[in-house]
Amino acid sequence: MDLIDILAQVILITTIGTMVFGVGAYAAFKLRDRRQPGNSRSDETMNAGGPLEPVFLERYVPGVTTDPAAQPVPDDR
Amino acid sequence: MLLALSYNEVQDAKGSFMILLQNWLLAAVTLYLLFFLLLLVFRFAMLLLYSFMDHLETVYKVRETVEYRKDSSLPMISLVVPAYNEGLVIQPAMRALLALDYPNYEIIVVDDGSTDDTYEKAMGVAHESVGIEVRVITKRNGGKADALNTGMTLARGEFVLNMDGDTKLSRNTLRACIRHFENPKVGAVAGNVKVINRENIWTQIQALEYVEGLAMARKAQSFGRVVNIIPGPLGMFRKSVLQQVGGYDRDTFAEDCDLTLKLLMRGWHIEYEPAAIAWVETPSRLLDLLQQRYRWTRGILQATSKHSHALWQPRKAGINCYILWYMLFEGVMWPISNLAGNLFFVFVGWQYGLTQLLFFWWLQLTVLDVVAAAYCVVIEEEDPSLIFFSVLFRVFYINIIDISKFFASIEEWRGKAMTWGKLEREGKL
Repeated sequence: MDLIDILAQVILITTIGTMVFGVGAYAAFKLRDRRQPGNSRSDETMNAGGPLEPVFLERYVPGVTTDPAAQPVPDDR
Repeated sequence: MLLALSYNEVQDAKGSFMILLQNWLLAAVTLYLLFFLLLLVFRFAMLLLYSFMDHLETVYKVRETVEYRKDSSLPMISLVVPAYNEGLVIQPAMRALLALDYPNYEIIVVDDGSTDDTYEKAMGVAHESVGIEVRVITKRNGGKADALNTGMTLARGEFVLNMDGDTKLSRNTLRACIRHFENPKVGAVAGNVKVINRENIWTQIQALEYVEGLAMARKAQSFGRVVNIIPGPLGMFRKSVLQQVGGYDRDTFAEDCDLTLKLLMRGWHIEYEPAAIAWVETPSRLLDLLQQRYRWTRGILQATSKHSHALWQPRKAGINCYILWYMLFEGVMWPISNLAGNLFFVFVGWQYGLTQLLFFWWLQLTVLDVVAAAYCVVIEEEDPSLIFFSVLFRVFYINIIDISKFFASIEEWRGKAMTWGKLEREGKL
């Protein structure tokens, strides 16, 4: 096997390797691109019109409560 | 499959290269690749010739006009710096602008609704300025084209220099560019772009790519006054010309290429100035690089498609027709032919033991690359070690980039949605 044959084998393996690597790298780039925060499902409240109400908290009004456990206990003494 | 079916047919040739001509499909691919090779050699020869002629012309002109004008008569230039989340790099970029060697200019920084501290940092440098007017404007995010248009509207200068927020300009930039406008036919001047973060193999190869792209292709185009892309990091325009063509459009992802084509279609001359240098930070990681090239490929195809009417009107469009075909050759035909050549010779080597063909194919492309790299390094007075990277460029880099370009072209053809894909800065300015 002469030098050209050896170099040809090296180039053959390198070419196949880099082409496979190139496809893999492109797939990785697309996968990463798809995971950008901007593409994730948006918060449904984001586009709501009018004044926004807090989603997880109930409005606190002093002196009014609906929870029986929170009612003041009468003093029996 | 057709290639596989031809296996028995060509076996009798006993490993001779003549087997490539004994089957119509193999022969067709072989002849196409030979045609592509001739086209490539012709392109290299033409670019080298015209680039060298432009170089001689530049040297001759510079000698002739060492003192361009008296400082007091130099026109005002407005520098427009669009910035979106450039907090890491905006300060060194602006400080380089404050140190420019020119008597009459203003700086307009357009913060395009950044979510980081770009605006505060830009304001910090604006307060450092003594004698040079610096305006920092913040606006709702609308994209780079919108930010550049905003800056152009606010510009008070007769000339506008558009750049990127992550770019550092060489001190002589304004003086080097302005002398081109002595010719009233010149509507814009494209600057030279160089890589500042030459820290790993990816950025070193990109440094060579930039040097080759500018010193050979851009210089050759400049000889005909038909530079086809005024790079985003550095381009100077007559403000009246920008207004005439309606500024930047927002319908492509390569607004610089689109604007350049609009200028060319209106008959304006565009020249290249190698002495005006914009230092930029390039992607140092592979996926970031692919992201950038993906956007460039699709953006250039979008811009070409917008002006595609000139493709079929050689008499009316003149040299612009040739420019568009050249862009399609570089953007689509070259990567596809390169990949097709590799796949074909890998197949032939694998099936018929003709691996030498792949080696010769690779060798002739590498020789072209090395010759081009050596020429560009000499012309640009660059680091000679860059020539070595032209071999690595051919060994693996261009295969990976071409695959990305190929898929990007397919996605553009299919009209798939895309986003700008802002690159993370590393603050290497």
